[in-house]
Amino acid sequence: MRCWYFSEMAYHPAWEAGLARGTLRVVLPSSNFDPPTAHGLLNRYLDEFALCDEVGLDIMVNEHHSTATCMTVSVPMALAIIARETKRSRLLSLGTPIANRPDPVRVAEEMAWLDVLSGGRLEMGLVKGAPYEIQPANSNPATLMRRYWEAHDLILKALSTHDGPFNWEGEFFHYRSVNIWPKPIQQPTPPVWMTGMSVDTGRLAAERGHVVGPLLSGGTAKPMYDAYRQRAHELGWEAGPDRMAYAAVVGVGATREEGLRRADQIADYVRTAPVVAEPFTNPPGYNSIDANVAIMKAGPRAHRIVKDRQGNPIDHRRATVQQFMDTDTVFAGTPDDVFQQIRDFSIRMGGIGHLLFFGQGGHLGHEDTAENIALFGREVAPRLGELTVEPAAVAAE
Amino acid sequence: MSRSISVAGVSLELEERGSGPPLLFLHPGEGLQPQREWLKLLAEHFRVIAPHHPGWGTSALPDWLMTVDDLAYLYLDLAASEGLEDAILVGACFGGWIAAEMAVRNTQRFAQLVLLDPLGIKISGITERDIADMHAMSREDYVRLAWADPAKGERDLMQLPDTDLAGIARGREAFTRFGWKPYMHNPRLRHWLHRIDLPTLLLWGEQDGIVSTSYGRAWQNEIPAAQMEIVPHAGHFPHWEQPKDFVDRLVRFVNIN
Repeated sequence: MRCWYFSEMAYHPAWEAGLARGTLRVVLPSSNFDPPTAHGLLNRYLDEFALCDEVGLDIMVNEHHSTATCMTVSVPMALAIIARETKRSRLLSLGTPIANRPDPVRVAEEMAWLDVLSGGRLEMGLVKGAPYEIQPANSNPATLMRRYWEAHDLILKALSTHDGPFNWEGEFFHYRSVNIWPKPIQQPTPPVWMTGMSVDTGRLAAERGHVVGPLLSGGTAKPMYDAYRQRAHELGWEAGPDRMAYAAVVGVGATREEGLRRADQIADYVRTAPVVAEPFTNPPGYNSIDANVAIMKAGPRAHRIVKDRQGNPIDHRRATVQQFMDTDTVFAGTPDDVFQQIRDFSIRMGGIGHLLFFGQGGHLGHEDTAENIALFGREVAPRLGELTVEPAAVAAE
Repeated sequence: MSRSISVAGVSLELEERGSGPPLLFLHPGEGLQPQREWLKLLAEHFRVIAPHHPGWGTSALPDWLMTVDDLAYLYLDLAASEGLEDAILVGACFGGWIAAEMAVRNTQRFAQLVLLDPLGIKISGITERDIADMHAMSREDYVRLAWADPAKGERDLMQLPDTDLAGIARGREAFTRFGWKPYMHNPRLRHWLHRIDLPTLLLWGEQDGIVSTSYGRAWQNEIPAAQMEIVPHAGHFPHWEQPKDFVDRLVRFVNIN
C-alpha cells in the first residue's frame, strides 16, 4: 500500500461564521476572509507537505472553490511549489475538475509541465468534482459527464500525441491545432486517477485501467470496488489493489488518547465540509434519475447520512470521533491501532492499494500536524507498504 | 387523450383535448401538469395540442438536442406535421421562451401569440438579474416566489409513485440542460422580437417573483403588436393559479383578433 498525505489547506478561522450562516461554501462572502491570516496558513500548510518527503510519504492535493473549507484553488499551482520542495514523493493531483474547466488543452499542458518539473513524479486525477462546485464554475450539470468524458479523452490524446497538431471538433470542445509543449516524461501519460463511489464509476474506470478512489465513503464503496474488479475480469485482466484507493482521516499519537484527539480535531473538517446551502448539494443532472428518485423519496437532507458497520445511520455533521471510526472514515490511535484498522478495512474492501490520508484538517496545529505526519510516515506507512492483501476473488459469472 | 408522435426523429408524448380553433400550448419548466384545471377549461374552447417537451414526461431527449433553438425548430416541424392553420401559439414560462423563438423565425401557421410570464430575454445590466436564480434557492423559497398562494404550489413528493418522481427528475434535468447558461435566456433574442408579426397578448401574474411585471413591460416594448394584461392573485403560473381568469382573457383576446 502507498500512503498519500493530504490537506485541503482549510481556512478554519471562518468556519464559525459559515456554520452560523448554514453554509461554508458558494455563498459565504469573503468578508469572512483575512488575507494576512491566510498568508501564514498557506505557507504553514506548504511546509507540512514538504515534511512528507522526509518521512517517505507521497502527497496528494485537491482543489475547491468559493469555500472556507479549502484554500487551494488550483492543484497545479500548489503542486508546482511542492514539486520544488520535495525530491522523492510522488505527487497526486486529485484532481482537476475537468468538466468545470473551459479549456482541457490547458489542463493537459499544466499536467505535462508538472510531470517534467517533478522528474516524472506526477499522478493525474481527472475528477467529476463535488456538486457544490457546479455553481462557482457555472458549468451545466445536465451535461457534466458528457463534458467530462470528452475532456478526459482530449487530455489523454493531447498528452500522448507527439506528431501533432491534431484537430478536435467535439460536442463541447473545439481546437484546430492541438500540439502541446512540453510533453510529459511518463509516457504515454502520467497514471490516471478518478474519484467516485458508484458502480458505474467502478466499471468505467476499469474499462480504462484508471485508479479509482472514493473519499470518506466507508464500506459503502465496496460495490464500486467489486464492480471494478468484475469489469476488469470481464475484459480479461485482474484488477489488483494498486487500482483501488481510499481517502480517510488519520490521527496517530504516541498514545491512543493522543491519536484520537488529533483525529477528532481533523474530523472537524469532515463535520464542516457537508455544511452547504441546500440548493447547491444536488444540481439537476449531477446525480442519475434513479438516485434523484431515491433522494426525493427519502425526503429533505436524508441523503447526506452514511452508515456504520452495523448499518446505523451516522450524520457526518454531528458525529463523534468514535462514530466516524465506526464508519471507517476515521482511523485513529497508536501506530499499531491505525495499522490494524487500515489493514482490516483493506481486507473488507477486497484489497486497497492506496491510502489517501487527511492528516491535517483545519484546527490541528502545526506541531500536532508535523507529529502526525512523522508518526504515520515512520511507523505506519512502512508496515502498510509491506502489506499484501490478496485481491478479492471475482464472483463466478 | 395522450398520444406519441415522432417529429424530426424525436419521439414526443402529447396531450390533445377539445375541438375548435387549434391551440399549441408549450409548458413551463415545471412541466405540463395536465391534471390541473387549466387544460379542461381551455379544451372547452379550443383543440388544444400540448406536447411534453423533450426530456419531460416520457418525451425523448436525444443527446444532440441541446438548445432552445432546437426546440423552436422542433415545434415548427410539429405545427407543420399536424397541419395547423391559423393556430394560437401559447407558451408559459420556459414554454414562452420557446414560443418567442418560434415566432421570430416563422409565424406562417399561427394567427395569435400568447405569452404567460415568459423567460428568455435579457434586459438589465451585467450584474443585475432579470430572472430569479431558481437553482440557487431552496424549493420552499422557489414556491414562495413562483406562487401567489404557495400552498397551491407545494407537492408532497414522498407520496408520489416512482414513475412520477422519475418524470419530475427528468424534467428538472432537461430544464437545466436548456437553461443553465446563459441563465434562462438567449442574449440575442431581444434583438429579433421586432420580427414577431402576430397580435400578441402578454399575460402576467401580478405576484410573479421569478420574472416581474416590469420585465413583462420590456417584452411588450419589443414586440410590435403586443398588449399586456396583469392577472391578479397569480404568480409565475397564472394558468394554474387562476385557470378561469386565464381562459377568459385568452378567449376574449382571440375573439377580438
